[in-house]
Amino acid sequence: MRSKGLSIEIICAGIGGRGVLLASTLLIDSAVRKNVYAIGSDEYGMSQRGGSVISQVKIGNVKSPIVGKGRADILLGFEESEFLRNVSYLKKKGIGIVNTNKSEIDRKVTDALKERSVRLYLLDADEIARREGLFLASNMAVLGFLSSLGIEPLTYENLKEAIIYRLQGKMLEGNLKVFENGYRKGLEILK
Amino acid sequence: MNELMIGNYAIARGFVEAGLEIAAAYPGTPSSEILPGIVEFSKRENAEIHCEWSVNERVAYEVAYGAALYGKKAACMMKQVGLNVAFPAFYNFKHHEIKGSFVIVSCDDPGPQSSQTEQDTRMLCTFMDVTCFDPSSPKEAADVAYFALRLSFETKRPIVIRPTHRVSHSREAVPLYRPGKRRVRLKEGLISKGKTAKLGIVASGMSFSVAIDVLTELNLIRMIPVYKVLRVHPLDTKVKEFAQSLQKVLILEETDAVIEAKLNDSKRVYGRLNGFLSGAGELTYDVIKEAITSLCRDSGIEVQNEIDYALEDLSKTINIVPRPPKLCSGCPHRACFYAMREAFPEAIFPGDIGCYTLGIPLGAVDTVVDMGGSVSLASGFYNVFSKENRNIPILASLGDSTFFHACLPAIYDARKKNKKFILVILDNGTTAMTGMQPTPQTGITAKGEKSRSISIEATLRALGIENIRIVDPYDIPFVINTIKEAHHHLQKGEGPFAIISRRECLLLSKRRFEVKIDLEEVCTGCKRCIRYFDCPSLEFDEKEKKVKINRDLCVQCGNCLYVCPAKRKRLDSL
Ligand code: SF4
Ligand code: SF4
Repeated sequence: MRSKGLSIEIICAGIGGRGVLLASTLLIDSAVRKNVYAIGSDEYGMSQRGGSVISQVKIGNVKSPIVGKGRADILLGFEESEFLRNVSYLKKKGIGIVNTNKSEIDRKVTDALKERSVRLYLLDADEIARREGLFLASNMAVLGFLSSLGIEPLTYENLKEAIIYRLQGKMLEGNLKVFENGYRKGLEILK
Repeated sequence: MNELMIGNYAIARGFVEAGLEIAAAYPGTPSSEILPGIVEFSKRENAEIHCEWSVNERVAYEVAYGAALYGKKAACMMKQVGLNVAFPAFYNFKHHEIKGSFVIVSCDDPGPQSSQTEQDTRMLCTFMDVTCFDPSSPKEAADVAYFALRLSFETKRPIVIRPTHRVSHSREAVPLYRPGKRRVRLKEGLISKGKTAKLGIVASGMSFSVAIDVLTELNLIRMIPVYKVLRVHPLDTKVKEFAQSLQKVLILEETDAVIEAKLNDSKRVYGRLNGFLSGAGELTYDVIKEAITSLCRDSGIEVQNEIDYALEDLSKTINIVPRPPKLCSGCPHRACFYAMREAFPEAIFPGDIGCYTLGIPLGAVDTVVDMGGSVSLASGFYNVFSKENRNIPILASLGDSTFFHACLPAIYDARKKNKKFILVILDNGTTAMTGMQPTPQTGITAKGEKSRSISIEATLRALGIENIRIVDPYDIPFVINTIKEAHHHLQKGEGPFAIISRRECLLLSKRRFEVKIDLEEVCTGCKRCIRYFDCPSLEFDEKEKKVKINRDLCVQCGNCLYVCPAKRKRLDSL
């Protein structure tokens, strides 16, 4: 089941009680369900208490779930502050997605990322979630956005399937909507 | 069939498939999910497994041990410092043979992420001569659990499984088997052969898995031989042979130098004992990469490792909101701590282990040692102060689960000796820090069934405490008054004086309230609420020099209204 060659390393960074662990579980799910090996590591010592939480996910030809500095292909910042805190994990030519309502984040960071050819996307995921009356579902908007980039196996179809597999009832409905709106936002920006 | 699960559930799965009959645990991160996992898998497999949350680790240990003595397959679960609580029983069993099987899971916390110390369970096992496994992934942890329960049955000896939090809280697809049918694949020994005799690696637990990834990244996987240790005690003699066949050996293990000490070869062995690696902390990807690179360079092995530290240096220079863990928005504990500090800012505040350790930033907890420590520390402080004739208020705080876990003997003792301090029991009806496990007071079992509940106030009375007040922490002025009265009372009456601050945990009740919160309108920018109340929903807008309420998080409890001087002035003038 270990697929030769392919390897994607992802950092999910956010604050406690706000769906970071669910997001990383869905990333793993969407790989595993396609028979691609994946493993993740959660840090939730006092995660419910609003502290910083990071979850690391590795997909493909890997053994451990631990990501090194400068090794992450993708950094998902579910909060702007947590993106900045973990920015050193990002690889050259990596991808950063930040949940923020600003049109620009710290200049020095943006410049440094540009220098490293990192693709940086800012996304008001909170707003997308709030529009559906689901403040705590901004994680889904971020995942939706990620899925619009079409990175195998983290595609729109696979992630959607994983969400349907994991969530039920009302939770599923609302979360799927936010996910799709995030996806659409991605298509718009990428046009 | 595979199922995605965390390491703790994988351990539960292994146990259930191996025919576990009795499981007892006390919750503690990173071990807390194992027992719920056993409950779930026993339901799915229709297996009759007796599962219980014990009042503390020693009880969990002895319950499982008793069953094992009688011939049952039993296991107990706890975190590393929990094993200290069970130590008397752990120490004693050396002389007994069991009839059934007995496995102890003690989860370690390198780092530590959610503990006071990172204490290494493997060290204790070596010292006590108990077989100990150090799994390197959730999948392996499931196999180890299955194997250990059966091995213990055959050998009639207890066995310890020691996962670190990176294994307990890692998530991967774990194969499921029907009970009794697991195909166990335990791997130990020379996992990866290398060409060179200049340098080799001995690794165990998660450090092994990380080492493999690092070697793959550095293109050294065919160069440097790796020996994996799964059973740390007794250590296979082949490890020594492997080490002797090399010029240099790097030992990667968490957290103490257990394997390294056993190899006892300071000439060629590099690890934590000889100072090559730091003596404490997690072996992260970067630490391991750095260690391998530097030893390669010393040994003349070519290695490409260009780390770009610029981003890391940069992130240190920018302004990032610090996010220490905080009590939740509207947490009843916060209101109570605020009242404690308001009543007697000059008091001594011994605290305890749980959510309420977060009373430290609120200035209402200043000394924390271990579970139950608040009460006995308060007793000690009182001794000293009364000898010196100093009337310093002592406000000890503890939670409801902690009360039953470790405080009863200390409270009885304090009562018997008439120690005059105030005992504030923060009763939120659950064990919140570790994930909402029921306490004895709730009368709910590990399987979610109803049983007898034990009341805190009745227990206090039985221990001889006559002075008991029950308060609602949301009524901050009343709590302040009650604390002052209690202190006053202690001048003449007997001690200790118990105040039970009772209101349900918000994570459990998920409640929202309806108080009108208009702080933004009256705010003068003094920041008092931020400094002394620290609710996560209060943000300070530095541009407008005003407080902003995060309406998505705020539960409208209204507690911050008591804190704001501008608001209070307005309340007074009405
Ligand atoms: S205490 Fe009141 S006046 Fe002071 S910063 Fe807070 S809200 Fe504003
Ligand atoms: S009302 Fe005040 S104390 Fe209560 S949650 Fe909202 S901001 Fe926090």
